[in-house]
Amino acid sequence: MKPIAKRSIALLMLLCLLFCNVTPAMADDDDWYTYTYNYWGDPVASPNAYAVTNKIYPQYIDPELGTFSSATSLFCIDDLVFICDAGNNRVIELQKVNGTYELVRIIYSLNVSKLVAPQLKFKDSIDATLYNPMDIFVKPITQADRVANFGTDYLGDPYDFSAETASVTQGNSLTTSDEDNAGEGGEGGESGEGGEGGEGGEDAPTPTPTPVAPSERKENIVRKDLKRDYDFYIADKLHNRVIHCDYNLNVINVIRDPQDDTLGDNYVFNPEHIATDAAYRTYVQAAGVVNGFMEFDKGGSFTGYVGAAKVIVSFWRKLWRKIQTKEQRNRSAQHVPTEYNNISLDKNGFIYATISALEDQDIWDGTATPVRKLNSMGTDILIRNGSAFPMGDLSWGSVKNYAGASKFVDVIAFNNDTYCCLDRTRGKIFAYDFQGNLLYAFGNGGTTRGRFSQAVSMDNMDEETILVLDGTAGNITEFSMTDYGKMINEALALYKTGYYDESAEVWKRILQFNGNFELAYIGIGRALLRKGEYKEAMGYFESAHDSENYSKAFRHYREQVVEKYIVYAVVVLIALIVIPKIIRKVRKMRKEIREA
Amino acid sequence: MSKILSGIAGFFKGEGWSRYRKSFRYAFYVILHPFDGFWDLTHEKRGSMAVAHTIVILTVLTHIWDRRFTNFMLNNTRWSEFSIWLNTLGILVPLLIWVTANWCVTTLFDGKGRFYEIYMGTAYALTPYPLIGLPMILLSNVVTKEEGVFYTYFNTFALIWAGFLILCAVLMIHDYSLLKGIVVILASIVGMAVIMFVCLLFFSLISDAIMYLVSLYKELLFRIS
Repeated sequence: MKPIAKRSIALLMLLCLLFCNVTPAMADDDDWYTYTYNYWGDPVASPNAYAVTNKIYPQYIDPELGTFSSATSLFCIDDLVFICDAGNNRVIELQKVNGTYELVRIIYSLNVSKLVAPQLKFKDSIDATLYNPMDIFVKPITQADRVANFGTDYLGDPYDFSAETASVTQGNSLTTSDEDNAGEGGEGGESGEGGEGGEGGEDAPTPTPTPVAPSERKENIVRKDLKRDYDFYIADKLHNRVIHCDYNLNVINVIRDPQDDTLGDNYVFNPEHIATDAAYRTYVQAAGVVNGFMEFDKGGSFTGYVGAAKVIVSFWRKLWRKIQTKEQRNRSAQHVPTEYNNISLDKNGFIYATISALEDQDIWDGTATPVRKLNSMGTDILIRNGSAFPMGDLSWGSVKNYAGASKFVDVIAFNNDTYCCLDRTRGKIFAYDFQGNLLYAFGNGGTTRGRFSQAVSMDNMDEETILVLDGTAGNITEFSMTDYGKMINEALALYKTGYYDESAEVWKRILQFNGNFELAYIGIGRALLRKGEYKEAMGYFESAHDSENYSKAFRHYREQVVEKYIVYAVVVLIALIVIPKIIRKVRKMRKEIREA
Repeated sequence: MSKILSGIAGFFKGEGWSRYRKSFRYAFYVILHPFDGFWDLTHEKRGSMAVAHTIVILTVLTHIWDRRFTNFMLNNTRWSEFSIWLNTLGILVPLLIWVTANWCVTTLFDGKGRFYEIYMGTAYALTPYPLIGLPMILLSNVVTKEEGVFYTYFNTFALIWAGFLILCAVLMIHDYSLLKGIVVILASIVGMAVIMFVCLLFFSLISDAIMYLVSLYKELLFRIS
């Protein structure tokens, strides 16, 4: 009996030991919420630059909202937030009032005048609903500008959808449920009960998984009647068009069917992300287009591509293709230029773009650039002066069963030329300054506050608030900048405007919070360099492993030292030459005197 | 091997010091006249083991000082992962394996050199490394990053020079033709790989065996108590 008891106790202890080994493995996750990378590419902890201030679940805002279904995009302007709830074929407009978010309206369909209606023809009927709207761009525009650029003709007699229904097939007897009319506002005038498009959900020509097409014209739900000077550009992906409408949802123009030789005959325009600049040029990232962004003019006609990503073919791949037989070559994946996956504009109208379909090795080498800043010529003008290229995570260890480079899916540019990139796979946000130095990274995979199941889009409400949309979990996280983050912005701004001493003071304060932050050492060093305190500057640059700036400081320091001691050096040199000569002469004279 | 030890002892005997200085000066002759120099080094007994040891020690020191004192612009040493012992072994172990492998190979390919002669020849061939490396450490501290290319060029030159000298040493010590010498050097490198592989295998097997015994012992304790 006794040995059995002993043995079972031993077994129990062994089991305990087994579990003891497991528990410490998942430790201090929260300590590492925000981090930067040091010179050696190791992550080092950083104070939080952004803190979660709100987590927004649509079902708690308004019962009408329900849940998101594969929401794809988020756009913030002033106090309004627009969410493209692609799976539900709707765009949601929220307003931030005193820190809480309230529903303004849910947009299912648009108003069309008789004049514009033909442009909305999809299949064989006029369809003013949204079908998988992937992205929305909101452009502030005054009424005068709108009239000057687009006239007022689009506001003519409303198109009568019920008449259309009568003439088209009556195959589907679905009718709008009553609830859809519950919050109908002033502008949803022309009610289109059952204004059903010709396409049924089952024969839509789209890749899997296919969102269900809107089977009838649903009325918009309006909770608040706001007056704003905005225009909307909506990427109505599976209707193959980009809709341009005013704030009251009256369609102004439709971008569709781009005509170009580079596009095949059976090309289908599937716009996914859009942006419109000050000159009303619309840039569209469309599925399957590898030549860059499609550019459309004010009238909606295709004018060309911008920022074609160049093809990167590695030496080994070239060699391999040489060796392969023709069949093998055809079977292996075609090496085409990479596709952009998102676009956003900064305050000057430069395009910030992200690409995720890149080879890890190319990203590491810097031959592939996951984030770009394009000028109007489509040239990448992003400055990459940091100790590493802006590529997100530098240590690619397996985190939550994902290894490899970060995959950027969205980017936002702030007014001070810093920009944030959103990494889909690890759910992280990386902030870079205008020189391409990593300021901080935060976020993670997960479901708790500040973590994302699959972050798909983000935007900034103002310069200090970021909203991040989680496509899988269907919620929005609001981040607000902490004092630490504000200090970094302050230091950057002071340096940019030429107040070097003041910026150094701020960098010193930042160092008190975060001694790991190499950029702060460089900031102080630069200020000292400008002031002419070269030796001190060298010390700071050495702390930050910034050999370029160290070299600059050292050059000046060397000059100083040489100038200081050159006189002594010359004196010593002359002395070394002259004194022996004098001695020799004296000796000679003595000899002569003696001999004489 | 006994020759190496006797070399150290020989230095402390009588006329050691003047002979030491003489053969040290001879090192400078060797690096400038390699064919002539390496022939006389062993055949005329003009080299000494004491000098060979000195040059090896200087090489190790140069390597460490290079990591420590080179200006940080040209020096990517990560101090948290720097170990003097690993850097010392990083020179000595490959040297020892090289000498062993070369001796093994040349014994089969009727080389004339003996183990200590190969060691001595290799050590003398390393002379350019401290000779150029030490001034370069000083130079690195008075140049900017752009001027730092001189540092890189001269150090590369020193390595190439040393490599050429090793080739000459093998040719002269074993009395080989050029082609045979190159083949023997390549064979020696393969031999080095084999020696390292066998060592790794040996150590991993030994550690496995020890681990086994340790766990066996623990298990026994567990059962008995």
